[in-house]
Amino acid sequence: MHRRDVIRGLSAGLVAGGIAAPFVSRAAAQSGKTLVFGGSVPLSGAAAETGLNVNNGYITAVDYLNEHGGVEIGGEKYQLKLSLFDDASDPSRAVTLIQRQLDEGTQFFLGSFGSNIVLPTAAVVERAGKLMVQTGGGSDQIFTKGYKNIFGMYPRASRQTRSTPEFFKGLKPEPRSISVVLTNDAFSKTSAQGMVNDCKAAGFEVLGTYELPEKVTDVSSVLAAIRAKTPDILACVTHDQDSLLIARQMIATGTNVKLLLQELGPQLASYRESLGKYAEGICVHTYWEPDAPFKGKFFPTAAKFAEYYHSKFTRPITYHVAGAAACIVTYILAMQDAKSTEPAKVRDALAKADYETFYGRIKFTPDGDGDPLLMGPSMAQVQKGKLELVFPENARTAPTIYPVPPWDKKA
Amino acid sequence: MTRQRSERTWICLSLAALVAAALAPLVLAPFYVRVGQLVLYSAALGLAWAILGGFAGYWSFGQSAFIGIGAFVGGLAEAELATAPPALQFLVGLAAGSAACAVIAALLAYPVLRLRGIYFAIAMLGVAHVFAELNNNIDIFQGSLGLTFPNIGIAGLDPHVFYYELFLVAAAATLLAAWLIRRSRFGYGLLSIREDEDTARMLGVPTEHYKAAAFVVSAVIAGVLGLIYAHSLGYITTGSVYRDDTNLNAIVYSLLGGMGTLIGPIIGAAILVVLTHVVLGDFLDFHMFATGLLLVLLVLLAPSGLVGLARKLVGRKKVRR
Amino acid sequence: MNLILQTLADGLVLGGIYALAAVGFSLIFGVMQVINLSHGVIVVIGAYLALILSRLLAVDPLLTIPLVMAALFVFGYAYQRWLVQLAVERSSLLASMLLTFGVALMLRNILVWIFSPDFKTISPPYAFVHFHLGELTFDLVRVSALATSLVLLCLLAAALHWTRFGRIVRATAQQNLAARLCGVDARHVYALTFGVSAAFAGASGIAIGMVLPFAPPDEAFWTLNAFVVVTLGGVGSPAGALVGGLLLGIVNTLTAQYVGPAFPNATMFLILVLMLLVRPSGLLGNAFSPSR
Repeated sequence: MHRRDVIRGLSAGLVAGGIAAPFVSRAAAQSGKTLVFGGSVPLSGAAAETGLNVNNGYITAVDYLNEHGGVEIGGEKYQLKLSLFDDASDPSRAVTLIQRQLDEGTQFFLGSFGSNIVLPTAAVVERAGKLMVQTGGGSDQIFTKGYKNIFGMYPRASRQTRSTPEFFKGLKPEPRSISVVLTNDAFSKTSAQGMVNDCKAAGFEVLGTYELPEKVTDVSSVLAAIRAKTPDILACVTHDQDSLLIARQMIATGTNVKLLLQELGPQLASYRESLGKYAEGICVHTYWEPDAPFKGKFFPTAAKFAEYYHSKFTRPITYHVAGAAACIVTYILAMQDAKSTEPAKVRDALAKADYETFYGRIKFTPDGDGDPLLMGPSMAQVQKGKLELVFPENARTAPTIYPVPPWDKKA
Repeated sequence: MTRQRSERTWICLSLAALVAAALAPLVLAPFYVRVGQLVLYSAALGLAWAILGGFAGYWSFGQSAFIGIGAFVGGLAEAELATAPPALQFLVGLAAGSAACAVIAALLAYPVLRLRGIYFAIAMLGVAHVFAELNNNIDIFQGSLGLTFPNIGIAGLDPHVFYYELFLVAAAATLLAAWLIRRSRFGYGLLSIREDEDTARMLGVPTEHYKAAAFVVSAVIAGVLGLIYAHSLGYITTGSVYRDDTNLNAIVYSLLGGMGTLIGPIIGAAILVVLTHVVLGDFLDFHMFATGLLLVLLVLLAPSGLVGLARKLVGRKKVRR
Repeated sequence: MNLILQTLADGLVLGGIYALAAVGFSLIFGVMQVINLSHGVIVVIGAYLALILSRLLAVDPLLTIPLVMAALFVFGYAYQRWLVQLAVERSSLLASMLLTFGVALMLRNILVWIFSPDFKTISPPYAFVHFHLGELTFDLVRVSALATSLVLLCLLAAALHWTRFGRIVRATAQQNLAARLCGVDARHVYALTFGVSAAFAGASGIAIGMVLPFAPPDEAFWTLNAFVVVTLGGVGSPAGALVGGLLLGIVNTLTAQYVGPAFPNATMFLILVLMLLVRPSGLLGNAFSPSR
């Protein structure tokens, strides 16, 4: 795929008529019964790792549906087609290229990653009366602007951790104190504030909150402060790479807490591999696991989805892959309900959506974000190198290990 | 005599181009209107940079500092007036943003402009990062949570077209300012600084004040552009306006077009924006490589920019005759 | 009391890594006044090379240093000789900086193609071990990174001082014309310097890869870091890089501890600006041309 892009790029760049090329190819794509999904993914820049997972999720869903003869909407057969570009985490690039897709008649958009990209693009899509179902922007701002056409697979940031204090309460012996480390960006900050408020309300003592800049090379001073004032639970609302840095440095400096919760990071196989046996017992919020008991149309079970994904990609699966695929599945279900591919009708169907899918039950709040109870995260814990669901009770695949043994006692 | 005539031709051409540009949205598809916005924004940024960098030879690597200050100070001021009509909010934001840029630039100018060449460039890079970090990490500036901007458009007019025209006004004003500076005593003073600062000073050019004035003008323009840009996005975080690629692009426009000329940054911005957004827009993981390659080729093959290249070609032709 | 000592110690350990990561940048800047914006990407390439080699040969990552340095030396030599030098001659020093930025973009994109955008880590067996000295806690992998950095910096300093190569480099930097009159091939020396600088950047990449998870976009940070270290310590000498790096490390941890963990980058750049205003040639001055 890479090589093809290069060759395409070279030819388009070298041929003087390169500017005209997009018109031709797109025009062909629109004809016949083809459903085009547009949008951007960040494939370069710091969010690229998740961006790649999201992109693979889209490809998985589209390929699967096409291989199974396409989808039937209102009595007509459709093939699906993806038309995505790299926004390089640059909002003005994203807005401009979304506009191009709008001009070319794309009606249905998938989201980028990061609120400073998703929000401006959502505004353009909303204004044009088209639709966006996205997995990359959880910030509250996206859902509090009164947009009617923007839907998110995750609950808004401040609600994502709502069930967390309940999980902590269920641990024996009951933890009393918590500290929070967070990255200073819109999503992490709202999310961490939500967690701090919820924990305070539930009676936990919050010993400290530590804000990190967006690029971190060293957390020794934060860890020194944590060793000086050790909480029972340390929660890190940080991105993958920073989470791994924190965990590694905690191990390497012998900074122990009874439970380490990292919002992003442990869901990646590369993270768990890097820590090896030390990953044991680290908790993470997850929205989906391959062995979850979910069933639905198209992909019959979560396991079947994972199986199909592995037949196409060698990258380990994460919930971002499933969430991305679920965006497309949700679109199709809504279109079948609406018996139409008219954005206004599909929108109404999405607003009323209540679907059982391989990803779980899908239902949006009136503001468009995921229902915090149905689509909120479950708690997973790394046990023997695998993620096991430990909370809520009804989804649990293993009991929680608590307190987690200190780093140097991990076998 | 011929000089005057050629100047008059240029003015007429520019006015015609301006009118054509203003009417362009009537026939352009929205995507191209949006690309047009970016071209105008980038061209104006490039021109603002050129007032100091092109004329006086002081290459700033931190133009994004003022884009960010203009956007955030303006936006915060507008948020104070949340109930006022949007147009009024925008004017207040514009005043606050450009005033902040002017004051900060004036304070920075004398110490920073003592540095020359590469040291000035690095210092400005540092300045941009200091402001970005402070903006992001001090909560009252809301850099990390982000700032929402009111819709200042005119009812019935497509926002894309509205911002296009707004950028056009800004770009035209910048061009006018740069042109007036270029042909004034001040402008010749700046050129003399570029050629030989010490000699210029010896001959009585008030180099310190000239440099500072150019720095402030350039900063204020960047601030105004930053605020308009923020409005056109509707929501910004620190990362949307304090961008190192903007710092660099401001220079690349002049390099690509022609250093020290007025038309250079405009041509450069147009080519680069169209190339990265229209030609390379489709490629998932190739555009960064292509942009890099373009920079390398540019430096090696057209060291004096396209204007320089064109002049060389024209010159050669004349000689042959 | 303990906290401040621990903070200082952490700062020194971190600073050693910063110093090694910046010394190559400093050398190029000192000898030929070229700002190498592709410095950071060479650091990251070093980390990737170490990752592959240590897996392939099943050896400790630190043992891959000679191989990585050799490979990057060749790369650096060729890069300067056939690209950067051309840009300097055809255009200007400042334009050569743009060229290096273009190269950085391309290399970063190539890294993404080869290694995917995922972050990677290098975990030697001692990656997670720590030891106590009095009441201070040190983590072994960072300390070994610091030791590596000190050893390499000393070697470089010795080479610059006592070998023929070092003398030629210094002569070319101080008096380009005079050196050429004495028969020095300046282009060759420039390319050699670039090679050495790339080699050291690669070596620092190994240390960094052992300490931090790394990914292609990190290159920008390591370039910026080099800027700060060099302006802080002074141009062109391992000693300058060391002083700058250690100071930066300490400032970083002190800020994180006593101002707030979000602020080290802000202080870092503030110091960069202030230092330029007060003493543009850095604490130790320019090793090659003290008068500049």
